[in-house]
Amino acid sequence: MADIVFINEHTSSIADRLIGMVESVIHQEHGSVALVFLIGVIFGGIIQYTRVDKFEKIAGFAMLKDTIVPKMLFLAVGLTSIALYFMIEAGGAHYHVKPIILQGLIIGGILFGISMAILGKCPGTGPISIAEGRIDVLVGAIGGVLGGLVFTLYYDDFFKPLMGENLGKVTLPELFPGYEHLTVLIFGISVTLIAIFIPKLELFDEADLRKLPDETRPDKK
Amino acid sequence: MFNRLPWWMGGILMSGLLLLTFSIFGADRPIGSSTYVPYFAGIIFDLNPEKYSYLKHIEAPGSWEGIMLLGALFGGFITSVFITKSFRFSLIPTGWKTYKNNSVASRLLWSFFAGFIMIIGARLAGGCTSGHFMSGMSQMAISAMIFGGVVMMALVVTGRLFYNLKEKR
Repeated sequence: MADIVFINEHTSSIADRLIGMVESVIHQEHGSVALVFLIGVIFGGIIQYTRVDKFEKIAGFAMLKDTIVPKMLFLAVGLTSIALYFMIEAGGAHYHVKPIILQGLIIGGILFGISMAILGKCPGTGPISIAEGRIDVLVGAIGGVLGGLVFTLYYDDFFKPLMGENLGKVTLPELFPGYEHLTVLIFGISVTLIAIFIPKLELFDEADLRKLPDETRPDKK
Repeated sequence: MFNRLPWWMGGILMSGLLLLTFSIFGADRPIGSSTYVPYFAGIIFDLNPEKYSYLKHIEAPGSWEGIMLLGALFGGFITSVFITKSFRFSLIPTGWKTYKNNSVASRLLWSFFAGFIMIIGARLAGGCTSGHFMSGMSQMAISAMIFGGVVMMALVVTGRLFYNLKEKR
């Protein structure tokens, strides 16, 4: 079992490590600090403005009473998959495919799905909820940080063996050699169509609706 | 007017953001939003990256996502205050009251528990909704499709079992 090792002697305060975070980004060549921050601002803005950070959207999808999240996700994936493939072919981007670590994906996916239904957030939408004042999600984030701590402490001894074998990085077009372009188009178009044809269901939050005049309430139309 | 963007606008904008992030003129990497959690755990608990292989392993993506997260908090806060006007402190979502219970203690305990296993799940799988579902599926990665399928099933089954689907309405 891992012993907890602290590094007090090196006087690394939280401030020092936050500076280290900024320096690490400067040296990565994955965009300037300002650009990465801006990507975050847009990401937060889109999630907040579409209201997909609400409990009623993700937990609502788990109850199959709201389909805004899957519609938006599938549309983003469908459009991006086609554009990104041709962008990569033209040399404007690179693949960053994650490996198939089967046990990790399945065990992780089950834990993730269960917790997403209960919390009604995911790690991307959670912080946006906290930014709009949701204390319960902040408590969830504290749980998350402790989860991250436990994962880090017991990674070598427990979690890494649990994840199992790495089966390599595979993408769908690679499975159809000679038909890559067709595969991409079929995938992108079908996912986009799925997004359009998933029936639109909405679970509204009374607390938001109460602020609206009756005739503009989307649930009374 | 109901202050929000329609789902298709959100999808198109998110697609634009993904492409910008992937592009060599942007960040030349995918969007991810779960690696920053163990990264911040390392900072908060002052763990030495030299002693923990996992911290060393996530140094680069963790710090990148850390900066992105700060931007997301800022963007979310500004949008909630000035555009959607949804900023308010609350302890329990309306949907929880309708379909689960009225107990704040129950909501907070379940939130804590769910947050804990959410990060362990995401790190076991190597990504979350952003890293696997959006960025991974956009690259048509098989790993992302496996994750997406398992998550959707676990999500819907939990939703069915955990909540009282026809209550108080």
